[in-house]
Amino acid sequence: MHKLFWRSWQAKTCYTKVLWAAVLIFVIFIVPMSVEACPACKTLDDPIGKGFNWSILFLMAMPFTVFGLIGGTVYLHYRRANRKPTDEETI
Amino acid sequence: MTQNSPEIQERQPLSNARLGVLVLLGAETMLFSGLIGTFLVFRVGNVTWPPPSHIGIELPRAITGINTVLLLLSGYTMFQARRAIQKDNLKQLRNWLLLTGGLGLLFLGVQGSEWVQLIRNGLTLQSGVYGGIFYVLIGCHAVHVLSAVIWLFIVFGMAMAGRFSADRYIGVDTCTIYWIFVVALWPILYVLVYLS
Repeated sequence: MHKLFWRSWQAKTCYTKVLWAAVLIFVIFIVPMSVEACPACKTLDDPIGKGFNWSILFLMAMPFTVFGLIGGTVYLHYRRANRKPTDEETI
Repeated sequence: MTQNSPEIQERQPLSNARLGVLVLLGAETMLFSGLIGTFLVFRVGNVTWPPPSHIGIELPRAITGINTVLLLLSGYTMFQARRAIQKDNLKQLRNWLLLTGGLGLLFLGVQGSEWVQLIRNGLTLQSGVYGGIFYVLIGCHAVHVLSAVIWLFIVFGMAMAGRFSADRYIGVDTCTIYWIFVVALWPILYVLVYLS
């Protein structure tokens, strides 16, 4: 499926590609005028809505932080273990 | 020598025990994130904090601040215990572990006395959102400190039996990781719950 898409994309002229990119930018940046983290909270001025938004943003960031920290620690340990000894260390 | 023998595990870049503790701490972080998220909903969602029904109740900020310093100090002593065993100094390891455990127990004692005072002042688990989130969040941390102290005294017992050396100290290492997590978490909770 993705090969078919890629072939048809390559067959398109430069003008058509720019037009598609413009449509995409329009959809991404123009259409959703305002986005809230909590779809149930209709007005951001409401303190409860603000509370839910902050909570959702915080909880949304945490899995990335946790996986990033664990992944970073594992990566650093392996990099340190595979590090080539310097001339000073070999002497 | 089998694949799972301690000698092989010690030579791995990251031993299974350390990785296991890291995964456990990942789960613990998500647990506390959920609780902090709940706290944020109530804290940001209320214009007046504490809520009007709890206006007379003051959290003991100063004593808890001193308690925070004690817990941070226990993080330092735990770190020193790890350094001691890396230098193959068992006597220093025992001393630092004992000091760390003592500081942990002191933290729990001070917090327990604060709770007794707060309950006498009318702040209970059933007294509303303020009391509920306070006891759940701070109590959950206290349970973690208690389990860290129990773990630490098990490690202390193993140190007394001479089970650790500069080449084999994975028990001290995993306990240190857990202790540092519990210590590092507390200032965040202190600022959120007591100072915000």
